[in-house]
This record gives sequence, C-alpha cells and structure tokens, in this order.
Amino acid sequence: MSMQGSIKDFIPLLDLGKETKRWEQVLRILKEPKPDIIPTQREVVWKKNKSTLWFHPAKEKKYKVPLFFVYSLLNKSYILDIGEGSSVIGGLTEMGYDVYLLDWGSPGYEDSNITLDNYILDYLKAAVKRAIRHSGVNEITVVGYCLGGTISAILAAITDLPIKNLVLATIPIDFSMGIVPSKWLEGLQNGQLNIERFADAYGVIPEDIMYAMFRGLSPIYISPMVNLITRAYDTDYVEKWRRMDKWTKDSASFSGAAFKQLFNDLYKDNKLLKGELVIGGKRVDLSNINCPLFVVSTSRDTLVLEPQSLPIMDLVSSMDKTYQVVEAGHVSLALTGTFSIIADKWLSARSEEIQPIFS
Amino acid sequence: MEKEKMYDPYEGFKQISEMWERQINGLLFMAADNNEFVRLASSGLGIHSRYMELLRKNQELMAGFMNIPTKKDVANVANLSIQAEGKIDILEEQIWNLQDSIGSLNKENLELFQEMVRMIKQMQAEFQKNIHEAAELKRMYNDLHEIRKDLVDIKIIQVNLRDVREEIEEIKDLQKKLVGVNSLNEQANIHGGLQEVKHELDQLAEIKSELALLRGILVKESPKGKVKEKELVTTK
Repeated sequence: MSMQGSIKDFIPLLDLGKETKRWEQVLRILKEPKPDIIPTQREVVWKKNKSTLWFHPAKEKKYKVPLFFVYSLLNKSYILDIGEGSSVIGGLTEMGYDVYLLDWGSPGYEDSNITLDNYILDYLKAAVKRAIRHSGVNEITVVGYCLGGTISAILAAITDLPIKNLVLATIPIDFSMGIVPSKWLEGLQNGQLNIERFADAYGVIPEDIMYAMFRGLSPIYISPMVNLITRAYDTDYVEKWRRMDKWTKDSASFSGAAFKQLFNDLYKDNKLLKGELVIGGKRVDLSNINCPLFVVSTSRDTLVLEPQSLPIMDLVSSMDKTYQVVEAGHVSLALTGTFSIIADKWLSARSEEIQPIFS
Repeated sequence: MEKEKMYDPYEGFKQISEMWERQINGLLFMAADNNEFVRLASSGLGIHSRYMELLRKNQELMAGFMNIPTKKDVANVANLSIQAEGKIDILEEQIWNLQDSIGSLNKENLELFQEMVRMIKQMQAEFQKNIHEAAELKRMYNDLHEIRKDLVDIKIIQVNLRDVREEIEEIKDLQKKLVGVNSLNEQANIHGGLQEVKHELDQLAEIKSELALLRGILVKESPKGKVKEKELVTTK
C-alpha cells in the first residue's frame, strides 16, 4: 500500500485511460490511410481538362448573389471544404449563400503549356461565365484566396463580366518582398537564380517537388506531430488533425509555363504592382476594379505577408473598400472555417437579401 | 486543477519543441541568406535540370528504338482530347447565344401575337357594335318609311278634311238660307243633306281617333318620332 502511494505521489495525475487512448490514436494515424474528405452537398456544373466547377447550393437560400471561390493554383482547393463544422463553404451555404468553387485540379504532363493567361481566361473567366448562367442571376461575387485572390484580382481588372463584389483573402500583390531570404529574392530578381531550364526540363512541376519547395521555407516541421501527441486523446481534434495533415501533404502539380510566368512576371519583375502585366493581350490595370472590395489579411501569416496585400487598397478605384486583419494564420483562416464568418459579415449587406414572402 | 497543469509533461514538451523548431528554422534561414548559397542553389538547379533533360532525351531515344510510346506521346494524344473539349465548349457557348437570341425573338413574337390578338378582339367588338348599329339604322329606316307612308295618308286626310270644312262652310251658308225657307220639300232635302253631313262628321271623328293613335305610336317608337309629330302638328 505504502509503495503504491509513493508511486502516486511521484506521478500523481497519470491517467492511464487517457494515455492509452492517446497512444492508440497516434498508432492508428500511423497505420491507417489518410481520411476521406466528405464535401458539402455539391454538383458538377462544368468540367474542363482537369478543372471542375462545383456548385454547393445554399441550405436555405437567403441571398440572391452567389459566391464564386477561386483557390490557389499551388494547393488543393478542398481546404475550403475540409469537413463538417470547419468548412468555409459549408458555413456559407448554412448562412444562405449559393457557392461555386473552381477546383483547378492537378495538371498532367500534357498541360505543360498552360500559362497564367490560359488559367485566367480559358478556365476562370469561362467558369465564372458558366456559374452566372447556371445561377440565373445577373451578378456574382468573386472570392479569391491566396494566389487565387491574385488571379481573381487580375480577372476583375481585365474582364467585363458582372462582378458585384470582390473578396480577397491573404493575397500577394507586391512580389518585391516575401518570406524567402532576401538574398534569394535578389538572386531571383537579378536573374542569378533562374528557374526557366528547370521548368522546361520537367514540363509540369511534380507534386513532390512543390511540396519540397514549401517545406524548404521551414525545413524543421515537427510542430504538427507534437500538437497531435499533446492532444491525441481528443477524438474531434484528431479527426481535424488528420484532415489538415492530408491537405498539407497533398500539394498540386504546377504547369511549367505558368510556373515560369509566375516567377518571371510576378516574383522577378513585379509586373502586377507596376501595372505592366499583360494577360490575353490586355494590360492588367488594377485601377479598373471599381466594384466593392473586401481584403482580408492574417496577422500570423507565414506565407503571405501583410504588406504584400496592402497595396491593392490604393491601386483599385472602388469607392466601397474594406481592409481587415484577422488574428489567424494563412491556412488556419480557412481550416477553422473562420473565413466564412468574416466574409458573411461583409457580404450580407452586399448580396441582395431575399425578402421572405408572407402569405 | 492547478496540480494537473503543473504535471502535464506534454505541454512542456510542446513548448520546448516549438521553441526549438522556430530557432533551428531561423538558423537555417540565416545560413541560407547569402550569395554563396544562392549561387550553390543556382548551380544545383542547373545540374539537376541538365540531368533531367538528358534523362528525358535518352528516354525518348530508347523508346524510339523500341518503338514504344512515351509519356510525351500520351500527352500529345491527351492534348487532342483537350482541344476537342475546348471546341465543344465553344460550340456550347455558341448554342447558348443562339438559344438566347431565339428566346428573345420568341419573346418579341409572343408580344407581337398578343398585341395582334388584342387588336383582333378589339376589332371584333367594334364589328359587333357596328352590326348592332346597322340593325338599329335599318329598323329606323323602316320606321321612317312607315312614317312617310303615314304622312302621305295624313296629307290625303288633310285634303279630305279641307273638303269637309268647305262643305261645312257651305252647309252653314245653306242653314242661313234655310231660315227663310219653309217649304216641306226643301225641309226634306235639307234633312237629307244634314244626314249626309252627320255621316261625314262621324267619318271625321274616326279619322281623328286614328290620327291620335298614330301620334301615340310615333311618340313611343323613337325620339325622332316626337320631332315628326311636331312636324305633323305644325303641318296641321
């Protein structure tokens, strides 16, 4: 008895049940395949090559103007619909918005010649056009996230499509700064570091290389595993962690031509900020954007810095423009579903609320 | 609860690992932030690219010798289907445009037809009204024709009446003369003449009653009848 008492005094709060569950969960994650991501109710509207335009109908439609989501070309778009309870798209459909999502897909070897021009005009513009036709309304709200936001801003500046509102989250506009070491950025800008030959040799940059590039920005990456072990007894947390882990390691491949254009026109020459970028023969002048604009930055962003997003506020000619900094990270803004709440606050007054008809 | 927090080894482990992760990443970041590293990365990238080019080239060469398709050949075939898909999309958009223009044309046609139907209905109503008016006119014409005939009769009666009045005047003259005449024969003749006058007066009374009846009909049948009646009265 006295021996047991002394052990308890030494490790007084060791909960065997909790510890068993913790390590069982860790073992399960190591053994089991990655979880399936169950999307919010959706239907295919249009497919082109690897891209798919999804339609997520509102649970109970409250707003006339639908939302059109554009995610980054560098990652998979299912981060916006990662699972019930933390889905941005799910949250917005619950709030009464019809949501369209353009999933770029992963380009194959045959897509090595797809440029940013193709992505913006042949894919994004066509998809927005189809979403407008599918919804049967005259206007649409475009919501761009990360590089998807940059692409959305470019489209809004050169198109005559009826874009009612433009929402941009964590977007890079000024490419003269970034999270990479300054000497690397200099090397890229003065041509010392050239990716042309690399992109041509591969044709399409494979997923693994894209993932390695992201990992190269923070090579030591043990915090997710430590977080898991710390909270592995919590089943809900483990499920969310598994989905996040799947997405983090599930990078998209990137077309070689678009990769070169991204590095040369944006990172090297910063043409978008200077107003020198030409897409489809049209010069991209961000001052052509005059629709209501909402820009969201995150304070703990380690991928897109806040000063990279800020210049758009001065470049556009919109009278109704709002800028908001949210206490979140680049990924967690979408991963936790917080973005839906922030977006709804701004969009609800600008999406033509449908007045209920009382009989 | 206080004790529980103090003795949770995982939280401490987490904080230490986060700190280490941040510091090591910072160290690597600083170590890589120099021109030498950029040059090394650049030459590494160049070497890797050259190696990949060579590999792809040899792959194509070997596959060519063995007459087997490579990923490039498959990509070329895939490109054909992508092109076809693009063309279908263009066709679909053109069909949309056609649908839209046919739709707007149909809408315009529908509006035109609706306008035509409305006009035809209006014309039909007008036509019905005209038929009704024509029937009314025909009836009025008949009435007028009858009135005209009656007027001729009245004129004849008027002439007859004038004759009767003249005869009465003659009778009055004869009566004056009769005062001085006492012979029976003459009296008998006068009596016969008076009988004749009496008979004619009866006829006159009948004519008067017929006239009253005719006037009543005229008043009843049309407002114009009143005018005609007035005319008749003035004629009388």
